[in-house]
Amino acid sequence: MSLEAGQDKQPGSRPEPLATAVGKTPATATVSDDLRAASFRTTDLSLGFGQRTILNNITVEIKRGGITALIGATGSGKTTLLRTFNRMNDKVSGYRHTGDVLLDDVSIWDSRVDLMSLRRRVGMLFQRPNPFPMSILDNVVSGVKAHRMASRSGMRAIAEQRLAEVGLWDAVSERLKDSPFRLSGGQQQLLCLARALAIDPEVLLLDEPTSSLDPVATASIEALIKKLVPKITVVIVTHNLAQAVRVSDQTMFLNKGRLVEAGPTKQIFEDPAQDETAQYVSGHFG
Amino acid sequence: MTSSASMLKPAGGAGASPLPPRVSDWLRASLRDGSVIRWTGAAGALIPVAALVFILIILGVKAWPAIGYNGWGFFTGRVWSIGNLYGNPTSSGGVEHLPGAQFGALPSIIGTLGSSAIALVVAVPVSLGTALVIVERLPRGLSSIVGAFLELLAGLPSVVIGLWGGVTFGPFIARDVTPFIARNMPNVPVLNYFRGEVGNGQGMLTSGLVLALMVTPIIAATTRDLIRQVPILPREGAIALGMSEFETARKVTLPWVGGGVIGAVVLGLGRALGETMAVAMTCGAALGSVPTNIYGTMTTIAATVVQTVDGAFQDGTGFALRSLAELCLVLMVITLATNILARLLVRRVSGTALPVGRGL
Repeated sequence: MSLEAGQDKQPGSRPEPLATAVGKTPATATVSDDLRAASFRTTDLSLGFGQRTILNNITVEIKRGGITALIGATGSGKTTLLRTFNRMNDKVSGYRHTGDVLLDDVSIWDSRVDLMSLRRRVGMLFQRPNPFPMSILDNVVSGVKAHRMASRSGMRAIAEQRLAEVGLWDAVSERLKDSPFRLSGGQQQLLCLARALAIDPEVLLLDEPTSSLDPVATASIEALIKKLVPKITVVIVTHNLAQAVRVSDQTMFLNKGRLVEAGPTKQIFEDPAQDETAQYVSGHFG
Repeated sequence: MTSSASMLKPAGGAGASPLPPRVSDWLRASLRDGSVIRWTGAAGALIPVAALVFILIILGVKAWPAIGYNGWGFFTGRVWSIGNLYGNPTSSGGVEHLPGAQFGALPSIIGTLGSSAIALVVAVPVSLGTALVIVERLPRGLSSIVGAFLELLAGLPSVVIGLWGGVTFGPFIARDVTPFIARNMPNVPVLNYFRGEVGNGQGMLTSGLVLALMVTPIIAATTRDLIRQVPILPREGAIALGMSEFETARKVTLPWVGGGVIGAVVLGLGRALGETMAVAMTCGAALGSVPTNIYGTMTTIAATVVQTVDGAFQDGTGFALRSLAELCLVLMVITLATNILARLLVRRVSGTALPVGRGL
């Protein structure tokens, strides 16, 4: 806390030069135009709540159509960064930011950007399953209804397609009108994934999506995530380094609100440029 | 502590006075094996049940002769008259009453249901909005101040609200608000009850609105406490899905506490059905009058009882009091019936898609 407050007093001072992903990923050029995946770029993003500064001068680009893992110790700001992408932090008391976040070159805070539409384009999956208090069917199509993306009669078809996509259809096809709270934790999280996918997001933000799940459910979620790319850009926050290695192709390591290093996952874990990164990925870290 | 217990054990202890240690010993032992807690707990649990049953039985016994004499006409009759106080008591079917005694509860029943319905129609949306704003919109300091005012309002004596309603609020709406509504309401079913004479501000609408003011804090405070229990994660899920705050409240927050809100509404309804003083002061005290429009003077069960109980004591045969007991029995049945109905509703709602149990 005191350390962060100290950083707060000198917001202009930059940390040591960062090996950011900017300029290192010409991958954007290789993605063909018919893919709808969008990509994020942050420029000099600093962010805090009241006296506390959470993120410091972050400049990074999220690879279009890729899976980017955000790793770092508790309190490193990785979840805050993730929640910035769909502006979930805006309503937190004392919220403030400088710098910018661009979604396909348009600032997410631009006055022309409609917040509801931004969140339709940028979906999110949370640490624990969070079904709504309505039937399984209504859960899947709740976003579709909110954004009026289909007619009433088309809802069931959408629900079936999305539930099948996440491999839940066979388990719930007989009880679409039932409460989602009787499903297992893993099934509930799959349901939430189906719900998020039903509104055709261009980016999917995953906030430790498997931290409350058993290994089997974790494996099925991970397999699904890999299938989403390159149609959807995926950003995943994880405490589980093995998971970052398993699913991601890009990794960003944050420490105490600073971006220490970003690059291809293989490089971050096998040949990191920074000592801090090397210590963290080898487990010798707070 | 333990020495007194061990002193008791040696047979015929010469020095020990036998009685006091024995009582304390018994107390300590029964405290330790939990029987004291068990029996006081059982008694405590039974008292409310016994009280309700007891009141029902007493009312039933008191009202029984009146039920027989008044018959079904009690529910269709419009005249409430204890009869000629100076005439000789007559007897019909073994029941003594004053000559000309006639008891019809229809106006009271209609007034009770009508004014309570108005109260709920106004109070429920206002309460839900208040509760949502307090929990989700207002900053912490302001929300606790508003919450405190809500609780103060709930504790305001009904006679104070009644006086305000009768003297200030009623005449105000009759002069400045209702004439406009009455003139412009289209002459179609349901809405035509808003047309016609608006009166002087004593009547069903005034009573209903005053009742709304009284039940709003009850429903709002209960709902506020329920909404505070809704976990943040499903609400954030809805926000992250691009739902507006209103949609989040309607689709996630309120359904999450759905059953509880119905309970809160029933709590308010119970208050509205039984409220006496405030209604008696704003209803126009029109015994025997069934209002022809929403502004008409009327009476409710509770208002009828409080207006006629004085006269009923003058009735030497006691029959007027018996009829009042019957009237009270009707009110109790209405209140219990709405309660049971609400319980069934809660069970149905929670059975479909709500989290099982509230503690999720």
